[in-house]
Amino acid sequence: MQYIIVGLGGQGILFTSRVLGHIAVSRGERVMGSEVHGMAQRGGSVISHFKVGDYSSPLVLTGAADLLLSFDQNEGIRNLHFLRKGGAAILNVHAPEAMENPHIKSFLAERQIKAFCLPGYDILREKMEGRFLFMNALILGAMCGAGAGTLSIEEVRKAVEKLAPAKFRGDNLKAVDLGYEHFAGK
Amino acid sequence: MGNKVILLGNEAIARGIVEAGCDVAVAYPGTPSSEILPAVAKYADELGTRTAVEWAVNEKVAFEVAATASFTGKRTCAIMKQVGLNVAADPLMSVAHFDLAGGFLIVSADDPGPHSSQTEQDSRYFAMFAKVPCFDPASAQEAKDMVFDAFDLSEKYHMPVMLRPAVRVDHCRQDVETGEVRDLARKADFKKDIRRWVCLPAHVKINHPQLNAKLDSVREDFETAFGRYNFEIPATGKARIGIIASGVSFSIVMDLLKEWKREDVAILKIGTPHPLPVKMVEDFMARHDNLLVLEETYPVIEMQLPNRTKLKGRWNGFVPRAGELLPEVIRDLILKALGEPVPDEGVPELKAAIEEMKVTPKPPMLCPGCPHRASFFAMRKALPTGIYPSDIGCYTLGVNQRDVDTTIDMGASLTSASGFYLAYKTDGKDQPVVATIGDSTFFHMGILGLANAVYNRHAFVLAILDNSITAMTGGQSNPNVGEKLRQGDEGRRIEIEPVVRGCGVSFVKVAEPYDTADSAEVFKEAWEHAKANREPAVVILRHPCMLLRQKQARVKVRVNPDKCIGCKYCTNFFNCPGLPFDEGAKKARIDERFCVQCGVCIQVCPHGAIEAVEGEEA
Repeated sequence: MQYIIVGLGGQGILFTSRVLGHIAVSRGERVMGSEVHGMAQRGGSVISHFKVGDYSSPLVLTGAADLLLSFDQNEGIRNLHFLRKGGAAILNVHAPEAMENPHIKSFLAERQIKAFCLPGYDILREKMEGRFLFMNALILGAMCGAGAGTLSIEEVRKAVEKLAPAKFRGDNLKAVDLGYEHFAGK
Repeated sequence: MGNKVILLGNEAIARGIVEAGCDVAVAYPGTPSSEILPAVAKYADELGTRTAVEWAVNEKVAFEVAATASFTGKRTCAIMKQVGLNVAADPLMSVAHFDLAGGFLIVSADDPGPHSSQTEQDSRYFAMFAKVPCFDPASAQEAKDMVFDAFDLSEKYHMPVMLRPAVRVDHCRQDVETGEVRDLARKADFKKDIRRWVCLPAHVKINHPQLNAKLDSVREDFETAFGRYNFEIPATGKARIGIIASGVSFSIVMDLLKEWKREDVAILKIGTPHPLPVKMVEDFMARHDNLLVLEETYPVIEMQLPNRTKLKGRWNGFVPRAGELLPEVIRDLILKALGEPVPDEGVPELKAAIEEMKVTPKPPMLCPGCPHRASFFAMRKALPTGIYPSDIGCYTLGVNQRDVDTTIDMGASLTSASGFYLAYKTDGKDQPVVATIGDSTFFHMGILGLANAVYNRHAFVLAILDNSITAMTGGQSNPNVGEKLRQGDEGRRIEIEPVVRGCGVSFVKVAEPYDTADSAEVFKEAWEHAKANREPAVVILRHPCMLLRQKQARVKVRVNPDKCIGCKYCTNFFNCPGLPFDEGAKKARIDERFCVQCGVCIQVCPHGAIEAVEGEEA
């Protein structure tokens, strides 16, 4: 299982790969990932690679990712090429019409990629007083709700509960549930 | 007992350092090495070792402190990023000749790409230059394992040994085996010996040949006794290519071959690129006609081979001479070397969409609310015709507001200001020059430039952007903060003002960056003083880094669309993620996703279009 996680510096991408890693290890699987620290974190484009299984290198080859988790619409679009044929994307979008661009639609169709878009900022504004730092938990929940990947919502909840700082545990779990409910059963 | 945990590569290295019984670990932060030392402190606390763990003021200091501690027979290490090793080059070249007592490990983290550096130089070259052995890990686990071997090798030959992790090892996250601490119970026991510890030319005449002999022996060891790092993976079928690979490039090749299920590729993995086990490589070369060398970033393996004409590598331009060897690059190189078609990666539809929607990578910016942005704004307002040399830190991002004209390396803001001063002075011209430097960088290498400028009477303004932290690398302490890493350790804070005055500066004023009108006045006053008195004048702009999340007044702002004329003054000269320009409406707007309500932008708009939202002040 190969993930690409993209967004902007400061959006909490590292926490997402920590959650994915925690689950994999509790399943007895091997993990390997590559993170961005330093200059690249100052609000600029950030990309994390994360691989579960018997891999040697932490980097995902373009066209080989199973799942793209995107915290930012533009970063998501810029990195769709990482997805393999039949892969899936969870995308936080702020201007959903962009995803109607005919070129994007034909790219997704050609590669048979399922793109699950959610208005993350709107959800967090309405349901969590605009605290956008919970985007990472929201996206993780959405991934389970959309049925993309192999993780169950219970596994994600358990890992988030374990890894989130005590002060924000409840809020993180709420965001996971909001993301899950956005797609589950739809 | 072995226990698997997920660690960052840098944490794995730190764990190795503590487990290997290292007594003194000293570093200066720098991406991608910064997480190593805090992790050393964390493991030392957890495992209850006596390890001394310290941030030094710079890498030269770190190197000398750690190297000298090893003269007593203890295990020590100095940790830095690749450009930090440039700063420590002087002691490196010298200490390489010493007949050391305790194990001395140098960790120098490289940044192919580069992702967060001013060069993508290869520390292995420095190892070759200084004649010290170098390990080049391909994974976090291997990096940890190599720490033990590096210490052992250092003690076997009484010489410094380098571990060179590249960024993809430093910042990879992987399941790593942890173990117990080797309690070496070493006591400091410095044995005075002038021949050994004083680098007189007469001693070099003995030590240099001795160093050469040590290197020959290490090379023999690498040929025979380090099979866990240097090994061959023969092709399962008939080999059509032999790949010599080191570091993460090796790991990438392994993943590609697994996916391809190819049987015609043989690999020679090299984990000790200096001194190169030449016999091993030549033996591999003799058995393969089609040979490819993959290493980052300089041709260190290639350079050590007496005959490389058979190789597809950097010497003949087959392998790119710059940039990171990403999986796509390596895939294409292997296919090209095999004479097979390279897959058309073209995603024309996606490219067309990205072009149509003008989706571009977002460059790093100063954080919303960052005091540096306000300081830069005031600087330009006060001295718009100035030349602005700057330095290494978050504030290099002031380039986004056109307030950084030059950056060379740590501390060069001051020395560049001196250079500009002299160049214009010889024309008889008073050119305003404002150097900007952060508090940590000032202590790293700024003080010397300041002393030089006072002594030589160089007229310019030095703005010390004091956010009380080493921010760019993740918030480490420094002399201006005074905190130390290990539990129970207490440092002493050094204030900037007395240091500056002690260097002979007579004009020292502190300003609050958020008050741009007042700090602009201080900038003007400072330049007038500098010009009149032929000496540097210092302005300290003091406001805590936003990453410290200290409570401050919040001012909710809005852009009044009736007053905004779309001149882009705010985006060009203030450049805040919370204040983007809406190309559709041709007006600035507040992006609530990023705005932290610092309220500084109210002072920025020349048309008064940015307003406080009344009744919303908290």
